[in-house]
Amino acid sequence: MISEEKVKLMTKLAAYEAGEGKKDTNLNSYFRGDYMSFQIWKSAIYGTAGFCVYVALTILYDLENFLEEFYKMDMVSYFQDLLVKYAVVVSIYVVISYFVCLYRYTRGKKHVNRYLKALSELYSKYSR
Amino acid sequence: MDILYSVKEEIARIYSRYESYIVPVLKFILLLVTQIFISANIGFMTKLKNPAIILVVSLLGAFLPMNASVILVVLIVVAHLYELSLECAVIALCVFLIMFVIYFRFSPKDSAAVLLTPIFFYLKVPYVAPVVMGLSGSPFSGVSVACGVVLYYVMDYGKKNADKAGTEMSLEVAQAMAGFKEVIDGMLKNDEMLLMAVVLALTTLVIYVAKRLELEYAWKIAIVAGSVIELVSLVGGSFVLDVKISVGLAIVGIILGIIVGLVMEFFMFCVDFSKAQNLQFQDDEYYYYVRAIPKVYTDINFDDDEDEE
Repeated sequence: MISEEKVKLMTKLAAYEAGEGKKDTNLNSYFRGDYMSFQIWKSAIYGTAGFCVYVALTILYDLENFLEEFYKMDMVSYFQDLLVKYAVVVSIYVVISYFVCLYRYTRGKKHVNRYLKALSELYSKYSR
Repeated sequence: MDILYSVKEEIARIYSRYESYIVPVLKFILLLVTQIFISANIGFMTKLKNPAIILVVSLLGAFLPMNASVILVVLIVVAHLYELSLECAVIALCVFLIMFVIYFRFSPKDSAAVLLTPIFFYLKVPYVAPVVMGLSGSPFSGVSVACGVVLYYVMDYGKKNADKAGTEMSLEVAQAMAGFKEVIDGMLKNDEMLLMAVVLALTTLVIYVAKRLELEYAWKIAIVAGSVIELVSLVGGSFVLDVKISVGLAIVGIILGIIVGLVMEFFMFCVDFSKAQNLQFQDDEYYYYVRAIPKVYTDINFDDDEDEE
């Protein structure tokens, strides 16, 4: 005899496993610190790539002047200025992505805990 | 009203039965329409305007993930702009690279919004985009809508300079340095683009947040609140940035957005077609093949105690 209650619970579990569960399980395999540091590194790489494109755009914008001034300019102060801008941009980007990733991790962890609870509920139904 | 409910039930039934065919067809149509708009507005590269190429790309997009389709569309736009001028293509590529650095990090699920937003712009109803994405998307859908705004204005720049193709712009290729400056000024120093990106992203976020409030008529409140904020921020922003916008057209667009929102509420609030799943599992006695359609619009993620049938 098919138990409607069990089917509902199993459907819910299977739907989660097939959807959000895949990502959440992957996320759950990390400790919070490891996950966050991995994501921060990833964000820093993305941020650096974006900043490089931005620098390329600013050079292209004033290319004529840049080429004229290139050999006359104070390279140390130019790169210092660039470094400060880089630090500010990447810091903002990393901070925003830190909060986004923290939100995703906390939510994923909560879902996995509820999934495990539902799984043990199903187990107890079969153990009766 | 009963007729509408029965129509809805019928659509739900048809969708759940033929979902595996309907989704690729919808993706095909989205890519086809996007390419038609691109060709009509910035179709500088005649090879890419060929109907056979358009159909092949659309067919490819029907079976590719949406993110890949977005990249495909962006490459097509860059190719068309390359035909206009090298500077345009290089700057557009840089803009899209920066856009994707932000976009792919935060909002990879809402790719359709990146393509839909320019279409809404071409149909003169950009204010519908945040309503659609706020009601159906994620907290980060605003990022996708803003990326769609950027995509539209890059294409719009190409369209406005279409008459220069082969004349002034090709001369500027020889004077690449001045050319880059002019293109960056024209393409990026665009207060209207900034205003629209911020207003539409903000509206999307407001609608998403308000929709999730535990209030009676949360969806209706979200649609109205988002629309009011959209109008106020649009008018306020246009004064601050000194951008000319047509308030009459904006009001008409926002009212249309409200109507679209209410239609979406009717179709999505009780049954969520898009989250239908075919599931297989087994226990000691049976194999189960279940088709689950969530009754309430929500992710199957153990957030709530939603029912499935």
